Formats: sequence, C-alpha cells, structure tokens
Amino acid sequence: MSLLRLIAVLVLLIPSGTVAVAAQSAGSLEVSGRVKIGGKVEKLTRKRFYLFRGGLEANKTLVEKLKAASVTSRDCFYCAQKASPEFIAWLKAEECESPYCRAITVDDTKKVPEFLAAYDKGLKQFRNKPAIAQQWLTTNLSPNLRDGFYKQQKASISTILGTVKPLQSSMTDSVSVKAIFIDIPVSSGSKPTETFLVSNIIPLEFGGKSYLWACEVEIGSAKKVTLALQVPEAGKTIKKCEVIVKDLPACAAGVCAAK
Amino acid sequence: MRRLFIQFLAALVVIFFAGGFSYEISAQKRDSFLHSTSSHKKLDCSSCHKNPTSNWAALRGYPDVADFPGHTACNSCHSGRQFLNLCSACHTPGATPKSAPRYPFPAKGNSQEFNTVFPHNVHQDIIASNTRRSDVAVAHFVNASFREQLNADDKPQFNNCAICHQTSDALPKLAPRMPATEKPLADAAPDSFVPKPAFFKDMPSGHATCFACHFQGAQPTGMNCAGCHSLTTRHFESNVVKRYSFKFDHQQKEHSVRDCMTCHLRISQNGDVRTMKDADVPFVACVSCHNHAEDISKEVAKRKESADKGLAPFQCIYCHTPAVGRFPMPPSHEAR
Repeated sequence: MSLLRLIAVLVLLIPSGTVAVAAQSAGSLEVSGRVKIGGKVEKLTRKRFYLFRGGLEANKTLVEKLKAASVTSRDCFYCAQKASPEFIAWLKAEECESPYCRAITVDDTKKVPEFLAAYDKGLKQFRNKPAIAQQWLTTNLSPNLRDGFYKQQKASISTILGTVKPLQSSMTDSVSVKAIFIDIPVSSGSKPTETFLVSNIIPLEFGGKSYLWACEVEIGSAKKVTLALQVPEAGKTIKKCEVIVKDLPACAAGVCAAK
Repeated sequence: MRRLFIQFLAALVVIFFAGGFSYEISAQKRDSFLHSTSSHKKLDCSSCHKNPTSNWAALRGYPDVADFPGHTACNSCHSGRQFLNLCSACHTPGATPKSAPRYPFPAKGNSQEFNTVFPHNVHQDIIASNTRRSDVAVAHFVNASFREQLNADDKPQFNNCAICHQTSDALPKLAPRMPATEKPLADAAPDSFVPKPAFFKDMPSGHATCFACHFQGAQPTGMNCAGCHSLTTRHFESNVVKRYSFKFDHQQKEHSVRDCMTCHLRISQNGDVRTMKDADVPFVACVSCHNHAEDISKEVAKRKESADKGLAPFQCIYCHTPAVGRFPMPPSHEAR
C-alpha cells in the first residue's frame, strides 16, 4: 500500500516539476525593414522573416545551409520559363514577383503576349465576356508563369529548413516597414533574456543584388526588442549578424545566365 | 370487419401518397439533404455538382455553381420512392416535380454544412512583391471581382486585403467579444454609442473574388470544393461580428493610411482565422500610436485610481463599449 502511495505521489509531482522548468513569459520583437543600401535607406516591404530559438552558434547548421543555398532569382526563373521580355518587363516595372502582385490592366494585356493569349482563351471560355476574361486572366496563364516562382521559393525554404521548424514568421508591412513578432515564448532561466535568430531564409532581391540576413537577437519579456537590419560596408562585418550579399546573375532579355 | 378493412386500406393509401408527394411538405424538408451521410461523403463533389452550371450567366454574371445538381446526380443512387422523397431538397412546393421551380442555389434558409477555410498567410506570400512604392490600404480599394476596367493611366493597383475586404456600407450584426476566462467587475454602464457601417470591412459572400484566381489552374480550383470547404456540424450562419473594440474606425484618417498588416499582426502567420485564440489586432499594435496621456494611458490610470480608492471600477470607453470595458485589465494593457 505504501508503495502505491509513493507511486501516486511521484505521479503527481512529475508534471508539476515539468511545468516549473518550462515556465515561460512572452516577449516581442520588431524587425525594421528600412535598410541603408548604397548610402540610401531602402524599404524592404512585404518580406517574410523567420524566428528561430537559439543564436548563430546554436543554429550553425542552418546558417551554413543558408550560406551555401543556391536559389534561382526571379529574372532567371522567368527567363528559364521562356517568358517574353514584355512579361519580365511588366514584373520589373513594379518589382513584382508574380502576376498576382497587382491588377493587370487592359493596356498591360495588349502589351504582354502571355496576357493577351490568356485573355483570348478566357474570352472563348467565358461566353465572350471581356470583363471576366480580363479579371480572371491569371486562370488562363501557364502554371509556371502563374505561381511557379512562388512554388519554387516555397520548395527552397522547405529544402533549406529540412526538419528545423521556425518558432514564428512575420512580414514587413508596406507603411511602417516592420515585421513584428509577438507572444514569443521566452524561457525564464537564470538570464532575463533568451537568444533567438532572425532570418529571411530566401535572399531578398534589391537593385541587382540579393540579401540574406541571419541575425542573433536577445529577447526578454520586459520590453519590445528592435532589430534594425544592416548591410555591412565592404570588408566589414555586422556584430552578431551574418549578412550574405550576392550579385544577381544577368538573366534578362531572353539570355538566361546560370543561377 | 369489412368496414375496418376499408379504413385500413384508406389509411395505407394516405400514407403512400403522403410519402410520394413529399415535395409539397414544408420548407424545413429542404434541410433534410445531408452531405455528411456516409454514402455522400464517399463521393467526389464533382460527381453531383458542376462548375459552372449552365445558368451562370443569367444568375451570377460570372462562371459559378449557380444551381442544384441535376436529376441524374440523385437517381444514379436513389430510385423510385426514395428519389421522389428528395424533391423537396431542391424544388419549391408545387403541383408536380417537373413544373415546380427550384429554390435559389444555395438555399439561403438552410443551415450550413460547410466551413470555409482561407489561409491568409499563403495569400500574403503569393501577392508579396519587392515593391518600392507605398501600396497602402487606401491605394488599392479595388473590388477584384467586378471592378471597372482599369484605365491605363491609373496608378498600379497592388493586390492586397482590399480584394476581399471592402468598407461596409451597412452595419453588420454586432456582439461584444468578451474575455473568455475573466468575470466582469461590474454591470455595464449605460451607453448610447453606435458604430458606423464604415468602421467595418466586409468579406466575400460568394465565389466571385475567389474564382478570379482559383476558377481553374491555381489550386484549390473551382471544382476542388474541399480545398476551401470542410464539412462541419450543421449550423445557421450567424454572421455576427465580434470585437473587443467597437470604437475602432477603419476610415479614420490616421488609420486609413496604414497597411492592414501594420495592425493585423497575426494575419500573415494565420492559416485559418478560426484557430486564432487572441485578437488578430493585439494591444501592442494599438499602443504603438495610442499611448499618450489623453488616450489609453489616461484610461489605465483611471482604472488604477478607482481600484486604489476602493471605488466602483472605472469602465474603459476610449476603445471599448462598457460591455467589454468593465472587465479586469488584461496583462497586455498593464505592461505597456
């Protein structure tokens, strides 16, 4: 009987001990997408950033994979899909990544061969209704031009991360250009803060270069932490940050360079 | 004995005809058709439903599932009396099944069997751009489903939340969103505040906006019903907007110039809003601007003062109606 009592007491104690060890509080982080590039502050709007538990050292394998990853750029992707120069020019005009980025105007349809073909197809399919053929134009675009680049990026993220699961992700908005992470579970140990890693995983393309950040940040529950992304000057490094800047390959006007 | 036999026979005839002409019974019978029976669940949606139906141009103006499945969809499994019993699922009470018109599709008075899932995170990613311009909310209040033809000289209309969420022109049904675990500190103070329709954004009520991208090609397509709709226990759509704060005006000058994601912080992470435990606009988004002596700070101070002096608790009214403002202050408000 006393043995049963002992087991019962142990069963009651184990979960309460576990809860005590895992006691957490919530922190928040603000990643500023206003980055000084070439002496000018540029806005990295609507870009997704991922948050990982642990710093650069704890995420060494991930950081190495980020450095080694070869991701096809937007221009090279569409070039490889044999997109017309007009289609690529339409994307580049507003720095879009896919035809879903902005409304395709009647004028755009006249200028871009892929849009015109999709419009004509829609006109036949949708009982000669021009408004529907125009507004539903992407439903008649070829799959790779429609969402192929998005799918490729998702596949790249999945390959790079492997079994690593980010804690959270957040996007920069288009006005304040901030990605805000809230309710970050911060373990309350001996230190008032915990180390996390912030990365965009997929390089961001900007002005002929690609940018990838993997930055360490200390987050506590006391106040919101701000991480201002930076690009190091030539030959210099940013403290607690791996910043990988690469020249984008020339993949325009139908000449598709290597990745 | 003979009389008893005739009465029995008459009763049988009545029962037979009552069953055979079941399309004449009340409209509630419409609700008897279930998608969730084990036999129906085994079928692919396209084995009964067609998209588009032949009447789309007249009824919707865009290719859509605008009608009930045809008789062949039902009588491939249901025959004879069993088939006749199904008349009232689609047909209004009438003289004969052939002449009886059908209810509008989908029958609005019926309880819903499906939930709709919209992964906001995926849509935020696919419309993401390297844009260097300010594609703020006000810059793209366009209705993607049936906007006017865009003028070539117009500014680019970046796709964003406004594709689906327009400013409301009618006040939706409202109910305060109460804290789940807390008890109110007092009865709600009298309040005459009535929000304006423009405080709210609406959401698509049909397929028009979805099909503009998903009619075919991009999954889930118009025939992949289960890609967006999942079977659920039957319920009547309440369409009640529940908010912690009814006093937030989306159209207010300082609010309307912002990107929706500036405040809806959780939306870019969310695959199904029904799984969202907390408000999609967390308090931190409000205090990034409203943390001055004359707004939230003042209310917090008044609440504390009333507690310190042992007075009736101050009911917060800057953002909340008293229905919510009488609850204990959540930790997020304390730790500004």
